[in-house]
Amino acid sequence: MLRYYVKLGALSIRRNSILSALMVAAIATGIGACMTIVNINYVMGGDPIPHKSKVLYHVQLDSWDPLEAAREPDFPPSQVTYRDGTALLAAAEARRQVLSYRSSRVVEPAERDQLPFMVNGRSTSADFFTMFDTPFLYGAGWGASADEGQEHVAVITKEINERLFGGRNSVGRFIVMNGDSYRISGVMNSWAPTPKFYDVNNQSFGDAEEVYFPLSVSIAKEISSDGNTNCWKPVGENSYQAFLNSECVWLQFWVELHSVEEKEAYMLFLDAYAETQKALGRFARPINNRLSNVMQWMAVEEVVDDDIQVLLGLAVLFLIVCLLNTIGLLLAKIMRRCGDISLRRALGASRSAIFSQYIVEAGLIGLTGGLFGVALTWAGLQGIRGLYGNSGFLERLVSMDWVMVLAAVGLAVVAALGAALYPTWRACKIQPASQLNSL
Amino acid sequence: MGPIWRALLRNKSSYVLIALQIALTMALMVNAIAIIQERSRLMGRPSGVDEENIFQIYSSSFDPDLEYQSMVAADLDLIRNHPGVVDAVLTNSMPLRQGGWSQGLAIAPGDNSDAVGVAIYFVDEHGVGTFGIDLIAGRNFLPTDVRWFDPDGGPRWPETIILSNAMAMALFPESTAAEVIGRVAYIENNLPVTIIGIIDRMQAPWKEWSGVERSMLVPMKRGDDFARYVVRTETGYRDEVIPQIEKALADRDTGRIIDGAQTMNDVRAAAYLEDSAMIKLLVFIVSLLTAITSLGIVGLASFSVARRTKQIGTRRALGATRRSILRYFMLENFLISTVGVLGGAVLAVAINIWMVQIFALTPIAWYVVPVAMLALWIVGQLAVLGPARRASQVSPATATRSI
Amino acid sequence: MLSMQNISMVYRTETVETHALRDFSLDVEEGEFVSVTGPSGSGKTTFLNIAGLLEGFTSGRYSLDGKDTTQLDDASRSRLRNEKIGFIFQSFNLIPELDIFDNVDVPLRYRGFDSAERRRRIDSVLDMVGLASRKKHLPSQLSGGQQQRVAIARALAGEPRFLLADEPTGNLDSAMADSVMELLEDINSKGTTIIMVTHEPSLAARARRNIFVRDGQLSVEDAGLKVAIGS
Repeated sequence: MLRYYVKLGALSIRRNSILSALMVAAIATGIGACMTIVNINYVMGGDPIPHKSKVLYHVQLDSWDPLEAAREPDFPPSQVTYRDGTALLAAAEARRQVLSYRSSRVVEPAERDQLPFMVNGRSTSADFFTMFDTPFLYGAGWGASADEGQEHVAVITKEINERLFGGRNSVGRFIVMNGDSYRISGVMNSWAPTPKFYDVNNQSFGDAEEVYFPLSVSIAKEISSDGNTNCWKPVGENSYQAFLNSECVWLQFWVELHSVEEKEAYMLFLDAYAETQKALGRFARPINNRLSNVMQWMAVEEVVDDDIQVLLGLAVLFLIVCLLNTIGLLLAKIMRRCGDISLRRALGASRSAIFSQYIVEAGLIGLTGGLFGVALTWAGLQGIRGLYGNSGFLERLVSMDWVMVLAAVGLAVVAALGAALYPTWRACKIQPASQLNSL
Repeated sequence: MGPIWRALLRNKSSYVLIALQIALTMALMVNAIAIIQERSRLMGRPSGVDEENIFQIYSSSFDPDLEYQSMVAADLDLIRNHPGVVDAVLTNSMPLRQGGWSQGLAIAPGDNSDAVGVAIYFVDEHGVGTFGIDLIAGRNFLPTDVRWFDPDGGPRWPETIILSNAMAMALFPESTAAEVIGRVAYIENNLPVTIIGIIDRMQAPWKEWSGVERSMLVPMKRGDDFARYVVRTETGYRDEVIPQIEKALADRDTGRIIDGAQTMNDVRAAAYLEDSAMIKLLVFIVSLLTAITSLGIVGLASFSVARRTKQIGTRRALGATRRSILRYFMLENFLISTVGVLGGAVLAVAINIWMVQIFALTPIAWYVVPVAMLALWIVGQLAVLGPARRASQVSPATATRSI
Repeated sequence: MLSMQNISMVYRTETVETHALRDFSLDVEEGEFVSVTGPSGSGKTTFLNIAGLLEGFTSGRYSLDGKDTTQLDDASRSRLRNEKIGFIFQSFNLIPELDIFDNVDVPLRYRGFDSAERRRRIDSVLDMVGLASRKKHLPSQLSGGQQQRVAIARALAGEPRFLLADEPTGNLDSAMADSVMELLEDINSKGTTIIMVTHEPSLAARARRNIFVRDGQLSVEDAGLKVAIGS
């Protein structure tokens, strides 16, 4: 019977082509508007590292001002001080731990004809690559011994490798940054965690860094951070050492913990650490240490923009109006089909047969609307890109994956079926009759 | 009106649908307007600096043996003597740049949290002239006020500062600008600085900061391998000066990268990119929605005219004029629209209250609601005009034909 | 075959009660050809609607082919209609966007026959009404008489026990009307019971039995066949 209903639906759509086109347009517009925003929301709120997001924890220690919280009402600062970060790193109480910060560098190509250029760099401890599972094209990250020995090693991205070495395996060769030579230990393949979960201080949706080098080397070179530095207490004197010893937070600390037990044990360790600091006269606030896994941390940091949420609400309203429009059009259509319905009823069609017929038709309209809706979503995303400018991270925000395409079509069908319920119910109520005015 | 109303009630569902559409459109329109007004207000705030003629450019050195004090002196000398340039300064940031330095400033020394947060611009005696800001009390820095910051010791702060009027008023609410001159404030809890001048206005670098009007000029040059210069040109010369300066700086010293040339206009556009995009998006959504709703009105009205062709013919046969048929449909739409906009007004306010709570938006201005109501009334009347005209063209002879 | 006992049908609006049928009783035997006549507003259409299970009734008893229909729900009434009754309408009521084949196919679809069975039946009834060659035509491409033949084919395709015809020739000229009547008589002669509503005495006379409805009641019954007035 389904095939018969599909055939009838197609005939009916062709017969009332203007009305049907209006319905398809209403659904497509609604879906397009809604899914454009949903898509952006989906990418923003997506899991940047699905296979590990539940075992990676961001660490917060409340080392802040006794008089006020780092963020009201009682949030600890979102980064850690150098003192605390290096202490936790050295303690190595977790399976893996990473302390890092962002800093830009100037790369001087070996080739004379190439001009120096700036890169976004990350000064990090060794576990970064294994912990965040970064893909490698050649080689790998460096070992813990490189951290300890302050070895000049670096990991570069595929793009930098392309630029400096023409894409050849450059492991073991050297990159010169700010006058210092670093031995390349690995070339990373394309890696674009979205959002950039491990450091959402600057741009949550910015590009990952292009060059990585040991934190210990950067500290020895007194390289300052490009990210946020927040201090609640004056640094005191003018020296890098004073800054390192200060209460300023500027580094990100992450740990890898595989079970609830491990997490609880680590929490106990953090609390014990805070107690030792209290004994030293630091950590004047009540003990308030936190471990947030990736998605929890994204929620705490509110990486999904408020504007996008407002737009999402408006887009949903928009879709509702489009559906009300569709309901009105379907009603008009069904009122026109009164004759046909009462004839079919007279010829023995049950109410459920009529219901199926019109629901199938609505489904067809929804499907068509959904397909056009996908096209409009794509157009909408391009429009958004036009509005927000053409930077790299937008490329990712405005890309559509299969989940979203299917969601758009699915939502359109569900919405069309929902919109069809009332008109179809009205259709079922039409009595069979022997006196038919017109078909 | 009575019979129209009764006819409406008998044919509820389609009219309810239209009224609902109008209500939702109205709710969305009002809230979109509220957001647009808010964003436009934010974007309309003056930064206080001579935006049309200012640009920034930076130098990033990679020479480990860099003598940055002499490099900065030579660079500034070159820029200031370039034709078309009014003045230039080494600084750490500029309004709307969305990145900068802030510090607490208090009127009494000590570890208290009464310090008022203030944005810091490190400048020399050329700062006021380069940014094109107005000194409303006191004096500008003298070359003798300016210090070089020594990363390995020495004073952390100079002895003098210039405050924006908003900052001065935040510290000394009872005083006039002139009275604040000569007063002492404390930075980093207990380091005294003397206020020697008050400028009318210079926004902090962060547009969304609640203290965006609070700023402070500090006569200190801080440099390392990275130096940011802000340059002000003669009116109309900015765009030709930028590439000349870029080239001149790059040629003067090859151990560095000269980059990031950006006009103040571009800095503003980048800072308000999201807001202007939001405004455009909202205008687009509201227009599209209004179009869809008016199409819905056209569709329903056409349908109801088609369904009532015979009835209209009968009315015409019974002596109704074309005008009265037209009026009937216009009035019918007016009644539906009224129900819609009244519901929409309630919904709009409810959504606004909710959004104010969740997203900290400012509440809608009272007049937006009646304006939106009027707009939708007009849209409804325009939308129904076509079908109503068609209804009025129905021939009285239709009554005698059977369908 | 068809038995109505004391059927009453009252339409109520807020202010008025209209008795469309009152105390209406009628028995029709298998194989009969009954014509129903009466002035407009007499209750003919209501009778036809009730007989065709298109409408319920206020009181009384109606059994069709030995089956009491009084308590049936909508789905069973639909099935009964589909299996036992064929309708022929004054204005043919073919579905304009379906071709002849698909129009005849409509009741068979709801019956749930497989496609081979439907094809066999459609070919056979179209052959019978002489339109086998027009299968792929749309109704608008046929004359009124041909359209009514298609409608008759549609009514017969499900091999119903009886046909209900509402002014089957009302929209046709006399030559066409005559051929449609001949077709109906032919069908009746093969055993299908026919009830035909008409206002034309000449057509009514061709039926084997003639009943006259006035003010919702059976008022006169012609011919000397089986009579069941009142009770």
